[in-house]
Amino acid sequence: MTHPTLEVVSLHCVRGRQIVVEDASFALQPGEHVALTGENGSGKSTLLRAVLGLDRPREGRVYLQGRPQVPGSPAVLRQVAWMPQRLPLGRFPFRVDELLASSGNRAAALESAGRLGVRGLVSRPVAELSGGQLQRVFLARALGSLAAPGRAPLLVVDEPTAALDFAGQAEVADLLVGLDAAALIVTHDEPLARRCDRCLSLALGRLQDAP
Amino acid sequence: MNSADLLDLLSLAPVQRGLAAILVSGVGMPIVGVFIVGLDILTARFALMHTALLGAAIALLAGINPLAGALTACAATGAALVPLSRRPSGTSGAMGFVMTVSIAVAFLLLAAAGLPASAAMELLWGSVLATRPADLVLLAALNAAVALAYLALRRPLALVFFDREVALASGVAVDRVLVVTLVLVALAIGAVMPVTGALLVDAVTLLPALAARNLGGSLGATVGLAVAFGLAGNLLGFGIALALDQPVGPVLVLTAGTITLGTFLLRRARGGPA
Repeated sequence: MTHPTLEVVSLHCVRGRQIVVEDASFALQPGEHVALTGENGSGKSTLLRAVLGLDRPREGRVYLQGRPQVPGSPAVLRQVAWMPQRLPLGRFPFRVDELLASSGNRAAALESAGRLGVRGLVSRPVAELSGGQLQRVFLARALGSLAAPGRAPLLVVDEPTAALDFAGQAEVADLLVGLDAAALIVTHDEPLARRCDRCLSLALGRLQDAP
Repeated sequence: MNSADLLDLLSLAPVQRGLAAILVSGVGMPIVGVFIVGLDILTARFALMHTALLGAAIALLAGINPLAGALTACAATGAALVPLSRRPSGTSGAMGFVMTVSIAVAFLLLAAAGLPASAAMELLWGSVLATRPADLVLLAALNAAVALAYLALRRPLALVFFDREVALASGVAVDRVLVVTLVLVALAIGAVMPVTGALLVDAVTLLPALAARNLGGSLGATVGLAVAFGLAGNLLGFGIALALDQPVGPVLVLTAGTITLGTFLLRRARGGPA
């Protein structure tokens, strides 16, 4: 029996007293690419952070390849490939190659950096990159993590094309939809969302299948 | 003062211990400064100094060594900083609270026990030339521990300083790294206070780290430069203070401050950000 790569069951997330995500359930089958859309502030990133274990949900369960995960612990984060929404710059100089090496598979991350056109930046400090370069470097890191030993075949990315120009958006969309691994893609990029296998939409805290 | 007088001074045991203390703290404390800047806990050092005072007050009441009390309080505060340092809002607000409450409780305890506040306040007014052999041993042990911790943890530390969530995603045991780092920071500050005085701790910790950050191209380079600036500033400041017969503390601060300013101007001259 093949388990879903990721299964989320009845996840409830709150911010203060406000319910941000209510009873969200969904599953990603192996190799399936799912876009998560919704208006600004609709709770997409909150849902994603709860799934990854970066924030503790009020209730709900998360399964990774059929294995239950401890809610609010970063176990999921450590087992998947992830690209955050807010890309950090660091307090001390941190070079791009150090960041790529932290993926767990430096060679794969470097290869992805080449595909994304940022391999020439490896010796540069992360803080000196433009927004678009930073996004490509973090995506290359995430793709390196996908190839790291012991990781689940799941890419979780939060607005991967937000800082890119039109050509860059199309290039990254090509790369993402061509992946063999499952992918959960939070995005406002409609062309990218349309190219995914399925689209989920979050509105007023409720998750639903989008057309 | 001529060189013969200076050599005479250097032959005195308190001066030798002072020199040893600033050499030891010139190596380890700038690394502590790098930890403080990297973890963005600049306000925490004030709280640590005040909780040290509370620890000293409790120790005086209990009839034990005030420095032991101060170090215990520092270590506890360092460990308590771990969850606070994870919050997006940082440690500033909580540290302001801890700082003021600690000092108030310390004064109340001392008053209730009929002890002079000056007994605990001595910790805040250290003197390099009053360094005792036991202070020196403690300082050396903690500075060695800081240097070893850096060497052992430099890769995970670089990731934690870069971003804690990226560090978590890279498999770093962030909380463990934070506990080790923060407790060592707290203990090292507690140990250096009797030597430099609380008000001058920054000269041997933060200023070399800030100077190094102006020029370093990586965490490793920043730590190396911080140690170099720390040693240079301490030795130069100590030498100038002795040669000019001035108090060591303020001269150390001014020397370290001049180095820091110099690195800032150098960065500007290289076209770096202001």
